[in-house]
Amino acid sequence: MTLGPGAVFPDLDLPDHTHRPRRLSELAGGDPLALLFSRGWWCPKEQRYLREVTAAQDEFEVAYARIVVVSIDSPEVQSAFRAGLGARFIFLSDADRVWMDRLGLLEVTDTTHRPYRPTAFTLAPDLTIHGAYDGYWYWGRPTIEELRQDMRAISRDIREDFRA
Amino acid sequence: MTDLPAGAAYLAYDGDALHAGRGPGRSFMIDARCLGGEAVRDAYAHVCALPAPDASLEFDQPEVQQVRRDALAWWIPLLGDALVCLTTFALDASRYAGAMTVTREPVSWADDPFARIFPGTVLRTSLFSDVAPPPGPVLERYAGVAWPGGTF
Repeated sequence: MTLGPGAVFPDLDLPDHTHRPRRLSELAGGDPLALLFSRGWWCPKEQRYLREVTAAQDEFEVAYARIVVVSIDSPEVQSAFRAGLGARFIFLSDADRVWMDRLGLLEVTDTTHRPYRPTAFTLAPDLTIHGAYDGYWYWGRPTIEELRQDMRAISRDIREDFRA
Repeated sequence: MTDLPAGAAYLAYDGDALHAGRGPGRSFMIDARCLGGEAVRDAYAHVCALPAPDASLEFDQPEVQQVRRDALAWWIPLLGDALVCLTTFALDASRYAGAMTVTREPVSWADDPFARIFPGTVLRTSLFSDVAPPPGPVLERYAGVAWPGGTF
């Protein structure tokens, strides 16, 4: 599966951090979306990065844009991690790794946890990929400024009254 | 009360009961999805609103923003499977008149963040249907529809 700009991201169906079944297109709800695949709560890099994303949620909350995190943690663990971060966005649990092979996002070097490879996508509401980032090495992750620029570009494309 | 925007529905509250539509009592605009599906019978509605017509604040007041943040952060996770739906009450494009959380069973109503704005009253109701809770982090309203309803 090619997950690059211009491709349409699969419409993931997974339980959220409260066990409620969710679908990615429903979560987008007509807004741009930052989709973040995360190793899991135990990884210091994930803790660091998601603290930064959490700090940015104050912009997303007024800018009509969404944030979704996917990991192999169970919903209970995700709920605790989310609370610890102070996050107000949604986590999806792929504890059974039902999407991992289809997406080709297994991190092959962590044979203990078999987590998702840290990867980020910025998506239009119809799940068309605008940007793709490989965060296996920490510096490959999108900075908040890059997420901001991607959200701006997508919003400009989809909001008829967005002026340059 | 202004024209009903797409995605909104009317709900009336007379202090003792809730009624779909306008009146009897005070009428609010809510997220229409709450009235749009198969109704959950004998649910519990925690209505954090007052029947007095002047009980309102601006949606953009910091305290009204903060209770929505609290709803996303911990109120919705705390409710878990008990949650049926929740909606704020809008009087028009700018005024907040309260909120309502509907559950299948009694929950810890004292924790309801919306009760910090207007006190809560628990009512039994068979009006409301299941609505997936908002994923967050968006707090802003869409075209004047009561949060978390509407879309662009």
